[in-house]
Amino acid sequence: MEPLAHEGLARLLQIDDSLQTPHVISREDLTDTQDLISGGTIKIGKPVDLPPKPLGLDSNKAPYLQLSEEIAVLDHASSLQPQKLVEIASHFRKEAGYSRLLYAPAVEPSDIPILAYLGVDIFDDLNVELRSATGWALDDGSWTKVNIKTKDLQSQNQEELERWLLKIRTSIMNGTLRELVEVTSLHNPRVAQILHYSTSLLIEKGARRTVMIRANNLSLENPSVVDFQQRLLDYVPPAKNMVLLVLPCSARKPYFKSSSHKRFYNTIKEVDNYLTLHTVSVTSPLGLVPRELEFCYPAAHYDIAVTGDWNASEVQMLREQFSRLKPEKHYLRAIVHAGSSSRIITELLRERKVDTIDTESEKPSSFEGLKNLQEVTRTAIAEIPVLSSKDRAKGEAIGLAKFQYGESSPFLTESEISGHMPYKLRCGDLATISPRVGGLGLTLTGAVKYASNGGPSVTAEDFKLVGDLFAVGVKSYDGHWVIGDQVVIKQNGKVTGVGFARMNPEEMLSMSRGLAVEVRHHA
Amino acid sequence: MPKAFVPLTQFVNESKSIPREHPLDQPVARWTEEEVLGEEVVEAGVAILRTRGCYWSIKEGCSMCGYFNDTVPGGVSNDMLHSQWEKIRHSLKGKRYAKIYTSGSFLDPTEVPLDFANDVMSDMADMGIEKVLVESLPEFVHPKHFNYSNSPKIEIAIGLESSNPVVLDKSVNKRLRWPHFVKVCKTAHENGAEVKAYVLLKPPYLGERDAIEDAVQSATDAAPYVDKISINPVNVQKNTVVEKLWFRNEWTAPWLWSVVEVLERCKDLPAKVYSDPTGGGTRRGAHNCNDCNGQILDALKEHRLGHGNLKGLECECRSRWEVLKHQSSYRRNGAEPHGYRRGFGNGRRF
Ligand SMILES: [Zn+2]
Repeated sequence: MEPLAHEGLARLLQIDDSLQTPHVISREDLTDTQDLISGGTIKIGKPVDLPPKPLGLDSNKAPYLQLSEEIAVLDHASSLQPQKLVEIASHFRKEAGYSRLLYAPAVEPSDIPILAYLGVDIFDDLNVELRSATGWALDDGSWTKVNIKTKDLQSQNQEELERWLLKIRTSIMNGTLRELVEVTSLHNPRVAQILHYSTSLLIEKGARRTVMIRANNLSLENPSVVDFQQRLLDYVPPAKNMVLLVLPCSARKPYFKSSSHKRFYNTIKEVDNYLTLHTVSVTSPLGLVPRELEFCYPAAHYDIAVTGDWNASEVQMLREQFSRLKPEKHYLRAIVHAGSSSRIITELLRERKVDTIDTESEKPSSFEGLKNLQEVTRTAIAEIPVLSSKDRAKGEAIGLAKFQYGESSPFLTESEISGHMPYKLRCGDLATISPRVGGLGLTLTGAVKYASNGGPSVTAEDFKLVGDLFAVGVKSYDGHWVIGDQVVIKQNGKVTGVGFARMNPEEMLSMSRGLAVEVRHHA
Repeated sequence: MPKAFVPLTQFVNESKSIPREHPLDQPVARWTEEEVLGEEVVEAGVAILRTRGCYWSIKEGCSMCGYFNDTVPGGVSNDMLHSQWEKIRHSLKGKRYAKIYTSGSFLDPTEVPLDFANDVMSDMADMGIEKVLVESLPEFVHPKHFNYSNSPKIEIAIGLESSNPVVLDKSVNKRLRWPHFVKVCKTAHENGAEVKAYVLLKPPYLGERDAIEDAVQSATDAAPYVDKISINPVNVQKNTVVEKLWFRNEWTAPWLWSVVEVLERCKDLPAKVYSDPTGGGTRRGAHNCNDCNGQILDALKEHRLGHGNLKGLECECRSRWEVLKHQSSYRRNGAEPHGYRRGFGNGRRF
């Protein structure tokens, strides 16, 4: 088997020439045994043994999966309490490893996308058979009662189920499975609950895909969004005694490339000491995006219908983000120039006792608005100590590095910082800005330092590394990562490459095929 | 003991709860019901004595049995048992057939003292009762436990549950062994008693088809050694493993069609096989769809009383049951989707 793509805990596996997972088998692919315990066989390409049935077991207690040589079974998947199901999902690969396929018998088609998202590989058509027998037609994962008794309802429904699985596989390939799960959850409370409870598991173990998020109300729980918001806690603004400038987001990402943000920049650039202004954009679903983090996923990868109205949960989210940013601690005062969002932002800042000036410009990038902005900033920063561009760049690098690399970030920022945001910022010869990495991308020299400062590494067999590293060449690993993170490649005790992890740590060892590390730099 | 015992023992114990307090001088319940005595249908008097309860349920218990809910953990004194009997005996006046249940074993002398049992038996004989049914675990079916000075004809009902040791171990959690069951049936007969066996239909974890096969096989195995076999579709009793699995939708009560199939396949056995499903027609008991529950339960009653057969029963839900039965062992547990028996229509979710 060869993993072709991951999203969340889902994996798109190539099993043989004609078979990919998530895969649905039909009842004819199952065989039974005479005794009550044995599980019989399941045909996935070829027939393989199923583990024993869960006779006498309490589904509330670990181990949760029944294991045979090649298959792990998640029994009762259709009835486990949503919270329990997510808890069990966090044990899936610990119990089953990566070389076993995970099978969930007798689940509803509407549950399949979320179960796939949590890592289930194999499904069956047992519930489809029961629905067909009672006159229901499957359409895009949900059931409609049909009054005419069609003789081929069963085969029609089976075909539709196949299509449903194809859609799931395509979504994993494109990184849009979450979108499909979200759509499915709209009319399935159970799916919505499971999705709700899985956010932190997905942040902790889910594969990061840098795809466009087409945001909606459910995006407030999108793991990439929540992860971004939570990591704002680790972020620090470039310098002390700056003035916070809150601007509206723009449709174009990163915001600094948009015409409105270019105009804002040109306006404040004319004010003396403008380097003491720190721009933070306000947006849904991310909340607050400091200028240095505009490359960081998903700040540059989302799309949302902007209405200017903030609903209660969005306001709560903004309040939470301000509590993470702690403006009262970092800034001398704040200027709010965020159009229709200005009123709520001003309120939230004043809640935190921040000295706040609202420019009261309804159209912030209009001539009138820009004039306002310039006047307000001029007075607001006039008497503030001067911030040099060198100090500012250093601060920008520290804030970004902390956000990206957490506790081990000083290895990057103790180097000679040069250039400035957005594109020319560099940490010595260790890292440069890379939109693909979504911030500071490691050079080979940086990789050496990263590995010696606790960064995750993969040890490969001894061969000349050209191009990417495949699972077959992986010997061992050290540290923890999720798919999409940067990992260091070592060979013979020496760092020979750095790139993006494309498999989970244990998975690299279990798989004999497939891309393990997409290499950015090699020796 | 095999390792697989461990989870079910723990599961059973975790499912139990301490019974609430009950008045000690009152029996659990009394009622009358129609029963066959010889060739006749008579009105039998039935009572449940409140006792300390089944010794096995105190230690572990069976996965489907909630009778411990009606027991008194500290035990019931002889005086109180006699007070209960005073109330029961009134309702037995004029009856020819009596059923004296406990929430355990009538033949366990630590649960029902021998002196008390002896008094009760001779009282019933004096009242003109011809036959009395009592229940017991096989380990108490010993001549010295029913060697009464004077008594009606004794009929001992024994919960065989299943003749398959896997079912007993991994589904029921009962430490009964087939050779021992055969032995106590002989003992009972040699000492003038009749034997009635209880066979479970769809104990926990089993799917519909496996359950049917197990009940048919168990009845077939037991028939040569017993006088009657009652097929007991498992129903959901409070604070049991079955109730937990049912709440979690990992098991649903059997279909009435399965009861009918078992009885049809057992009709030529050397013992009389019938069924009187506890909680029949409700979600906690054996049921079909709403449209036919009444019809099937009536037919089962007529069949039990020897008035009719089970031919010609029909309902739309029968074909649904057939489909489920065919796929049940692939589902790997005893569950089915909510609403299936009604065809996923509206109304009560059966
Ligand atoms: Zn029916």
